[in-house]
Amino acid sequence: MEGVFFCEDCGEVLVGVASDNAMTTGPLRSVTADLISKSTWGTAHFGREATILIHFRDTPDPIVLAQMDEMVFGRLDPATNSNPDLDLTPFGAQEKGVSRSHAALRRGDDTLTLVDLGSVNGTHLNGQRLLPNQPRVVRDGDEIRLGKLVCHIYFK
Amino acid sequence: MNAAQDLYAILGVPPGAPIDDIRSAYRSAARRLHPDVNSHPGAATQFRDIAAAYDVLSDPIARDKYDLKRKSPSSERAYFTLRVTPSKRVLPILAEPQVIYVLVELVPERPRTAEKGDSNLNLTLVIDHSTSMNGLRLERTRAAAFQIIDQLTERDILSVVAFSDRAEVLVPANYITDKSAIKANIAIMQASGATEIFQGLDEGFKENRKHAAKRYVNHIILLTDGRTYGDEQACLDLAARAAVAGVGISAMGLGDEWNDAFLDQLASRTGGTSEYVSSPGAVVRFLNDRVRALGRSLAERVMVSLAPDPDIKIESAFRLSPSAQPVSINADPIPIGQLQTGRIASMIFQLQVPPSQKPGFRNLLRIDVTGDIMREQMPGYKAIADISLELSTHPPAEEPPLAILDGLGKLTLYRMQEKAEEALARGDVHEATRRLETLATRLLSAGHDGLASAAIAEARRVASTNMLSDEGHKALKYGTRLLIAAPSDSPPIDPAVSGESA
Repeated sequence: MEGVFFCEDCGEVLVGVASDNAMTTGPLRSVTADLISKSTWGTAHFGREATILIHFRDTPDPIVLAQMDEMVFGRLDPATNSNPDLDLTPFGAQEKGVSRSHAALRRGDDTLTLVDLGSVNGTHLNGQRLLPNQPRVVRDGDEIRLGKLVCHIYFK
Repeated sequence: MNAAQDLYAILGVPPGAPIDDIRSAYRSAARRLHPDVNSHPGAATQFRDIAAAYDVLSDPIARDKYDLKRKSPSSERAYFTLRVTPSKRVLPILAEPQVIYVLVELVPERPRTAEKGDSNLNLTLVIDHSTSMNGLRLERTRAAAFQIIDQLTERDILSVVAFSDRAEVLVPANYITDKSAIKANIAIMQASGATEIFQGLDEGFKENRKHAAKRYVNHIILLTDGRTYGDEQACLDLAARAAVAGVGISAMGLGDEWNDAFLDQLASRTGGTSEYVSSPGAVVRFLNDRVRALGRSLAERVMVSLAPDPDIKIESAFRLSPSAQPVSINADPIPIGQLQTGRIASMIFQLQVPPSQKPGFRNLLRIDVTGDIMREQMPGYKAIADISLELSTHPPAEEPPLAILDGLGKLTLYRMQEKAEEALARGDVHEATRRLETLATRLLSAGHDGLASAAIAEARRVASTNMLSDEGHKALKYGTRLLIAAPSDSPPIDPAVSGESA
């Protein structure tokens, strides 16, 4: 069945790098070692000096975040004096339901946390909807969703 | 209404939310989880909470009262949080059902510096002293009990029950005042009689209940080396009662004759653990480790409730850490026992998503974890996660997450072992042999040489005698299970060869 990672009969890894091909996959070659050397999701550790990259889906290049202790993501709106640290208007924030003051990334000594600032359409971390004002630790490669705006976060 | 339960969090709205948002949050929860649309037992449990929260927050007077009570600083604090990792973040749209795995980690928050010290225990040791325990086994068990007494303090409560075909209370439940007197009572234990676990468990439960309270880690440790006959159901029923009373049961099987499937069930009813102690020499370490772990409790009586959306099916669940344990998904909530300070507890769920989904984001399931916070004497603290996913005709390429790949890879070894046993139980010797050989190959390539040779030896044995040895069966079962709980970055441990040297 599609989505199964390991064959329970033979122990074979059934998952390769995801492809656009939606056909049901049979057992592929044994790729555990390759996968583990290639895969980066969740491997990099966050340090005080780490550079944070944000890659918005369907945009060519990731953006590098400034070294700030707290960075608010939202939508610039002069009418209400909303001036977030990162204005997401160029990424289609308005139509994707991003609030003026949507979420914030906070740097700690060894962790980076994401907190929803009471946004209308919610903040999701890897599909998990965050409760407002409850910070959650972010790991390298995590998916963040602000309303319907999807981005991935990386540490360098 | 319990002070530890944040009604706003239960509805998933910010504390200042206007009444319209509260109403719409309730309605969307009702569309997913109301018993009329969702027959999953977890949905019923969770919807009750949601409806109760809505009752308060939709009534202006009740809400004002609740808000006033809520404004104490301690209620703002997180004791544990949930972290969820799905195997894919964007699913393809398919004309057939597909599988998705969800790794759920229960992350204990770092305690504030002022909060040190272990939790107080209300511990009951239930010790098998049947004839087969004679000699080294009983001697090491006594030594283990002495060490446990030494590590307990006068704020802890201990009781000791010895059983064979009848039970005897060696140490009645009480605070530990005179350690040498307690030891003297244990020292007289002699081996005799047959094994009837219910006798011991029943007496042990009675002792434990005398002092069972929410401020304690209430726990029974059962140590046995034999099979019990005819009273297994009575034991399981007792475990269910213990779970309700907030008493955990851990089971330790010594040697190779005990019934592992039974002890697994017994322990998992209360969220306890079951372990295989391969040699008498390891008894002291196993028991002491267990008692130490019990003392490092952040939360007790932790229960996980899963409410999948009506069209999502939960196929299986397995606890990966701190100890690997199969989990029954037939009942909700699932008891997982204890959350230790500084140790992440994780579970992996396999879900099935139906075919022909619409593109876009959709909800998958709501997870609700409740536990009693030991230090704060705060019962019923909750962490809630609502999981959603995106479906797309052209999902972007993604690497499978390492954490899932790693956990699942090890779980697969355990499952292969299980499947070999199932084949053997069906009488299919050829199939069982083949599965054991494949398992051996996999274990070898993963660097677990000791377990691999155990698998080969058992494959040969099965081919010639149609049976697994008791020892090989347990070595493989608990060996592959230990692999699951071991962190992947530490050198591979090889329980099959650790035996006497430990």
